Amino acid sequence: MKVLLVEDDRELRALMQGSLALEGFTVRSAASLAEALALLAHDPPDLAIVDLGLPDGDGAELVARVRRTSAMPIVIVSARHIEAQKVALLDAGADDYLTKPFGVAELLARVRVALRHRGTALAPAVARHELDDLRIDLVARRVERAGVTLHLTPTEYALLARLTRSVGQVVTHRQLLADVWGAEFTEHVHYLRLYMGQLRAKIERDPAEPRHLLTETGVGYRLADR
Amino acid sequence: MEGRGTPDRSADWRRLAALAVALAAATAVDAALDPWVSHASQAMVYLLAVTLVAYRLPWNWSAGFAIAAVTAFNFFFVPPRYTLEVENHEYMIALATMLAVALVVSRLAASSRRDAERSRRDALRARQVQALAVELADAGAGDLLALGEAALRESFESVTVVAVEPAAPGASPSSGELIDALRCCTREAAVLGPGSPRWPGLDAWYVPLLAGGCALGAACLQTAHGPDVKLREHAQALCELIGQALARSQLAAAVRQAQAQSERERWRNLLLAGVSHDLRTPLAVIVGAASALQAQCERLPETERQRLLASILAEANHLARIADNTLQLVRLADRGTPLQRGWESIEEVVGAVLARVRDRDPARRIRSHIPSGLPLVRADAVLLAQALGNLPDSALEYSDGPIELAADAAAGGETLRVEVKDRGPGVDPGQLDALCEPFVRGDAVSGRGLGLGLAVCRAIADAHGGALSVRRRPGGGSAWRLSLPLEPAPSLGGAT
Repeated sequence: MKVLLVEDDRELRALMQGSLALEGFTVRSAASLAEALALLAHDPPDLAIVDLGLPDGDGAELVARVRRTSAMPIVIVSARHIEAQKVALLDAGADDYLTKPFGVAELLARVRVALRHRGTALAPAVARHELDDLRIDLVARRVERAGVTLHLTPTEYALLARLTRSVGQVVTHRQLLADVWGAEFTEHVHYLRLYMGQLRAKIERDPAEPRHLLTETGVGYRLADR
Repeated sequence: MEGRGTPDRSADWRRLAALAVALAAATAVDAALDPWVSHASQAMVYLLAVTLVAYRLPWNWSAGFAIAAVTAFNFFFVPPRYTLEVENHEYMIALATMLAVALVVSRLAASSRRDAERSRRDALRARQVQALAVELADAGAGDLLALGEAALRESFESVTVVAVEPAAPGASPSSGELIDALRCCTREAAVLGPGSPRWPGLDAWYVPLLAGGCALGAACLQTAHGPDVKLREHAQALCELIGQALARSQLAAAVRQAQAQSERERWRNLLLAGVSHDLRTPLAVIVGAASALQAQCERLPETERQRLLASILAEANHLARIADNTLQLVRLADRGTPLQRGWESIEEVVGAVLARVRDRDPARRIRSHIPSGLPLVRADAVLLAQALGNLPDSALEYSDGPIELAADAAAGGETLRVEVKDRGPGVDPGQLDALCEPFVRGDAVSGRGLGLGLAVCRAIADAHGGALSVRRRPGGGSAWRLSLPLEPAPSLGGAT
């Protein structure tokens, strides 16, 4: 597995490179946008990890460039407090994000999830998901908690199914609204709040401290995979 | 418009009729008295009529009336009667005197009328000046020119007022020539136009809006009455008021700006001092632990190595929180970044906060009670999560024992309250202001904390139109409350 790591800070780059290499990835690293573009053209990787603030340009440009030709998973690395930018990039085709500072475990988990979802456009998407006492079977259209089948409304089910297909990955508000309600509902975030509340009430043991349906504040939701 | 209407025909006819009536009355009285009184007394009656007329009417009218009265006296009473001839030269003297008295009285009356008129006008103008001064003192910076223009319109037919710096709205120069003259007048800070030494050939006055020797703009004033020094002085007085008001408002704006600047400066220094202080302790721990691992790695027992690693991680995360809070506080203080408000569920935000805070809460001291079905709030989710995270953060830092996190809707559904209750030393409501100053921490507590946590929490509450409050709990500890205003939520149009 080849990973392209685009990060301008030397220490952080060395750290991430070391951790990824230890997990068996072949890591190519770039410190600038130009370098990254050259590496992309020369030896296309299986996954890219891209820092948003690069000295010679914006990581967003890289995401746009890659998405024109490839479905390769992209994980964004960014500082906190720029949620709007993160959301824009996720909507533009990035797969997931990491907020600095992050731990190595988190980095590896994101990379694994992104690789697992690689090519979901062709291969069948995740159809079954099981974590703790929650079982979701998209083929049988069944959701169980502790062995008991849950009764979900069609919208609740559609919402859960969308998150299940991207299990472990963040799904932005806009993506959820577009996929579940339709393209004209992408601004109706309050729909999401209400239906997520209903879903949590049915799925979670303690809806105020969810185990499965995680909130990515200001960005979207994530169905926990571990 | 000021007084002095154009003399019209009907007024002339009325005057003529009044004169005829006066003359007829005097003649009638004299005729009635004729058998009993001398000519001298009869002349006196005419003289009385002449005096009354002279007092009321302009001098040319009263002179005419005096001649008419003398003629009537001569015709009706001076022998030989019913002729204009005069028998005795003594009567000539009487007639001439009557005429002279009439003229003198008329002149005096006219001049006293003029004086009265002038003082009435002066008083009116003084009132205008005073009223304008009061209005300008109360007005906002944007209304100054409009008010000045309205005041000038009471005295002039056509008024254009412009402020040159900055070009204010309300200035609507209709022609290039007009704006050129206004600019010139502003530059020279002197009156241009009829009766003034500069450009007397202009058809309007250009009066500078003076303030302390320099002009901040000019007014173009047109009047039908030609060069009238008094009127021009009045215009100058009004324009000077406008100029001074403009200067005052500019000065006030400059002072406000300077104050805001120095406040920002103070804030920044405070922040810098606090941050650098707060960074030292965690940095010392990190450096200490990391260097111990580097220098004594082999000799350290495994448990100690793990402990050092854990403390490096914890301290580094603490630094990250300080950085987050500092950044947020600077942003909120600058008010430059608008809130990214959306409809947020407090249950969700609390869930996200707890997911973050639990790392530091291995004993699970925090217990949350969030009822389902709370209304959505219109808030910036990231800020709200930060504010709500700081409360349990500082409760964990400053107290032992259980911490309760609860939320409810209050005040008839107009406010959403989130409360964090600890069993710490207890804080009085009066101490809140001091605790919310950046980098003040609860005294009597050893521990360090989020010198910024409460300051950020309150700033975020304020930015949302909410509030942060605290009270002592019975049985010890404090209850921190974040209140947020609730708005009617949008309806759901979608299917279930």
